Amino acid sequence: MALVRVTDLTYRYPQTAVPALQNVTFSVEPGEFVAVIGANDAGKSTLCYALTGYVPHFFHGQMDGSVQLAGLETRERPLPELVTLAGLVFQNPTTQMSGVRDTVRGEVGFGLENLGVPRAEMHTRIVEALAMTGTTELAERHPRELSGGQQQRVALAAMLAMRPQLLVLDEPTAQLDPVGSRELFAALQRLSRTGLTLVLATHKLEWAAAYADRLLLLHEGRLVQQGPPQALLTQPQLADWGIAPLPFTEAARQARDEGLWDAERPLPITLADAIVGFLEMRDTSKHF
Amino acid sequence: MTLYLSTNGPLHRLHPLTKLTWLLAVLAAALLGPSGWLPLGLFLVAWLLAAWGGVGRVWLGRNGRILLPLILMLFVIHGFFNPNGQTPLLTLWRLTLTQEGVAYAFLLSSRLATIVGAALLLLLTTHPGDLLTALTERGLPPALAYIISSTLYILPQMQSKATAILQAQQARGLETEGSLWRRARALLPLLAPLVLGALVDSEERAIALESRGFRVRGPKSSLVELPDSPGQRWLRAGLLLGILLLIGWRVWRLFA
Repeated sequence: MALVRVTDLTYRYPQTAVPALQNVTFSVEPGEFVAVIGANDAGKSTLCYALTGYVPHFFHGQMDGSVQLAGLETRERPLPELVTLAGLVFQNPTTQMSGVRDTVRGEVGFGLENLGVPRAEMHTRIVEALAMTGTTELAERHPRELSGGQQQRVALAAMLAMRPQLLVLDEPTAQLDPVGSRELFAALQRLSRTGLTLVLATHKLEWAAAYADRLLLLHEGRLVQQGPPQALLTQPQLADWGIAPLPFTEAARQARDEGLWDAERPLPITLADAIVGFLEMRDTSKHF
Repeated sequence: MTLYLSTNGPLHRLHPLTKLTWLLAVLAAALLGPSGWLPLGLFLVAWLLAAWGGVGRVWLGRNGRILLPLILMLFVIHGFFNPNGQTPLLTLWRLTLTQEGVAYAFLLSSRLATIVGAALLLLLTTHPGDLLTALTERGLPPALAYIISSTLYILPQMQSKATAILQAQQARGLETEGSLWRRARALLPLLAPLVLGALVDSEERAIALESRGFRVRGPKSSLVELPDSPGQRWLRAGLLLGILLLIGWRVWRLFA
């Protein structure tokens, strides 16, 4: 049974004419890692809010269609119930801090205190969440004194400690440097291996390609494509949907057009595949 | 932004409610108890406690900075201008210092010193989070506790944001030095992004709080364990009884 089932979802923010999402339908299986890609204003953030219940409960507006989370119709359940099922991590690392705890340990424990988790279990969960996100050594630091990447991993830990069934991340690396992004994706990869269901909205195609099981491509509020990264990111019409193709995929495509890349060989969607592919082409092709 | 001193003195180890109850008792004694030397005595007790708790020097310094200007002002205003002043002590130019004015200024100053001193002792030795946790455990609504805490914690964030905006505007040529008028004109380009930014942040922070189960109903728990003891519970009960007796004595005197 799907953990998330979105059926014909259309949503319009209050006082706007154009819907942010139109007739979106898809589902997410338990343990799946799904990445949502698309240009700015494609509806990625709105979809993240819809999956976690903030649309329509927090943002209100006009919602049609259905979003089911663990079998519950999100529109009919109160937000405080939904937040125990689905966690949300978003772009700005600073505003995700509660602002009322002066250690990372306390910050991660804040959500557990609200849920009334007993103290002994709270300590266990905090230790686990910090370990999973690689933030154990930050436990006694003040959240305000951390880098953006560290804060983002603490926000992730805070969500994980609450043990949601679904974790939704809305462009969590948008404000991070390459090191911070790499650390966060490494943490996501570890989480995915534990069987947690992840939905990640991102502009970073190379990371989505490397880690996600499936991609959803949004364009102007519509779900225009979905499928495995290999099938979706090698499509020549990506640019029509506002997505710049990965440079090494494009390079391999041009090489294929020039007869330098084996037509039978799939186009690369990760840098590692591209390097291996070009090195093998060099060794086997007289053109190099 | 808080006054809390992170050490491990004997006062730090007391339950926050014990210190809060003591503060309330001191307040009651200073305001309702017999006037004269009692408030000053309580101030000296607070000093001794601060010294015992390892915060004596900081306590004295902060008291001085807060109280000295206020006490000086009280003595000038009441000493020279108290309408009940009749007995002259000293005449300076056309102003006369009166005995009644000085006595009243002394009474107000000693009460003020007692209250400030006791409050400082609480704030220097009690982590605000621990105090709010203790109050929440006794029924303070979590939303109210959050408002109080966030005010303490968010101010430094606002300060650092204001500094960043100031530097950005200065880099664009905004003049923030010079005459009062020039400084006043520089305020708008500083305040507008600060306030608008804070409004945008507040929506995200609201979502962040929701996502942490802030509005989930049911019993809350606390990561921090606040050690308590039967002795402290008895002390708190005794102090509360003392407060009630003081109120009763005051009411009885009104009708006697």
